[in-house]
Amino acid sequence: MLDFLLRRLSAALVTLVLASVVVFAVLEILPGDPALVMLGTEARPDTLAALRAKLGFDRPAPERYVSWIAGLLTFDLGNSHAYGTPVSKLILDRLVVTLPLAAMALSFSMCVAIPLGVFAASRRGRAADWLVMGFGQLGISIPNFWFGILLALVFAVALKLFPAGGFPGWGTDFAASLHALILPALSLSLPEIAILSRVTRSSMLDTLREDYVRTARAKGVAERDVLMRHALRNALIPIVTIAGLLAGFLVAGAIIVETVFYLPGVGKLVFDSINNRDLIVIKNVVLLLTILVLLVNLIVDMIYVMLDPRPKVQA
Amino acid sequence: MSGFWSRARHHTGFLIGATLVGVVTLAALVSVFWTPHPYDDLRMALKLKPPDGSWLLGTDHRGRDVLSRIMVGAQTSITVGLIAVSIGMTVGVCLGAWAAARRGWLDELVSRFNDLLFAFPAVLMAILITSVFGASATNAILAIGIFNIPVFARVTRGAALTMWGRDFVRAASALGLGPLTITLRHVLPNVASILLVQATIQFATAILAEAGLSYLGLGAQPPVPSWGRMLYDAQTYLYDAPGLAIWPGLAIAITVLGLNMLGDGLRDLFDPRLRLMRVG
Repeated sequence: MLDFLLRRLSAALVTLVLASVVVFAVLEILPGDPALVMLGTEARPDTLAALRAKLGFDRPAPERYVSWIAGLLTFDLGNSHAYGTPVSKLILDRLVVTLPLAAMALSFSMCVAIPLGVFAASRRGRAADWLVMGFGQLGISIPNFWFGILLALVFAVALKLFPAGGFPGWGTDFAASLHALILPALSLSLPEIAILSRVTRSSMLDTLREDYVRTARAKGVAERDVLMRHALRNALIPIVTIAGLLAGFLVAGAIIVETVFYLPGVGKLVFDSINNRDLIVIKNVVLLLTILVLLVNLIVDMIYVMLDPRPKVQA
Repeated sequence: MSGFWSRARHHTGFLIGATLVGVVTLAALVSVFWTPHPYDDLRMALKLKPPDGSWLLGTDHRGRDVLSRIMVGAQTSITVGLIAVSIGMTVGVCLGAWAAARRGWLDELVSRFNDLLFAFPAVLMAILITSVFGASATNAILAIGIFNIPVFARVTRGAALTMWGRDFVRAASALGLGPLTITLRHVLPNVASILLVQATIQFATAILAEAGLSYLGLGAQPPVPSWGRMLYDAQTYLYDAPGLAIWPGLAIAITVLGLNMLGDGLRDLFDPRLRLMRVG
């Protein structure tokens, strides 16, 4: 197991190093002069030169790359050009919104998708199964930001049960902050629910065909226990794998959904930084989001090993 | 092929999918020559009109006809999706087929490259590209296209590897044919159906990605209408004109649902055992 995890960890590290090179190359080498991108073509030469000197763009690229990575390791990411505050503080302030949002969306999806999939599998070929499958097909076809707007239309504009957007802040009003995250988390979880319920269904159908399930039924184990204790545990393995792959979905979704609901999270920070041409923030946030995706995949690998203790032959 | 069509006529999902995609494509084609009203005519006096006989879906905040804009928006979505998937497919299929034919370090390199691209969701890729080169439909196409490369590379590699193990391919190899000839003559024609199914599904994903990017303002720029941007604009008027936030979203959902059903249907008709990749 340790060997397997070490191999995964080193593969993730290689991907991370490559990703950092790509991010650096796209943002700081491809445009020729990053200062020109940040200030626009109208900028005066002396202002450009001042920014270049201030942000160190006048140093050679490899040197800048090394000092960026060295800074990353100590979480010293430099200052945001637009906000004037340290990027590390900006990101930390925004993560307290994005991480709970993602966690909430993931829990919603698990809590809804797994029972839905198990239910559909146990009613295979019947109306309930078709309904769940139809919902799945619909769920992956609806853009989650549109679903968010529809939720806002119904629950905020018409029923006035939730705010249509905004975030009061955990310190100001904890309950209201939690309340403000519900609609965004719901809209973020829609495609996940759709995909996970389909995966759960097909994975359950596979395990329900196994001999040990037949044995359990022959022994007279109640159907409910057959489903939950015998089949679901083994069916969980592919479900967890897919849930991990969906981490990328969550990250991408959060950028848009936070904009829909005016949430001051990392996604909104990226969006604002594009408009502000704040390359320093974009560079760090994009890499951070990549680290998050890789980290989630690593955690999933660990859960995978725990669920399926057989030795892995290939990484 | 006649067997395919006779089975297709009885496959409900395929028929529904094909119809939905057909309707959207037709709307896009018709809009090239005709729309109920000019899509970019500003008539402030007529702004936020509810639907009626002459404005079937009403007007937006600048008095422009919503139906006409949705029709022209279909052109944007389909064009961006088609070109992006073609880019991803061309590069991805070459990489995947090459990796399967040569194996060894090249295969390893292609796999690592795929892992790297998979770590960047399409939106992050687009953000990187647009933050440097500016927001435009072309850059959105590029971002979605790059994101599609690893998907096609993986599918092609997997399917091609199976082909390389088959007797007829081994026989061709024993006859002295080179890897390129074998790939072109024997491998690719045999994996074409898988690629067609995957392309349909990726087309759906590309349309969703384009909608997301244009919602963020990173896609087609005004005055060209795009469904995502229409939704962004509609959000300001949720209280006054909720319909504005419904129609463009419905157009996206219908197109993507149609393509997904078409893809699933094609998979069933070609080979029910095929497994698809769904990543977004």
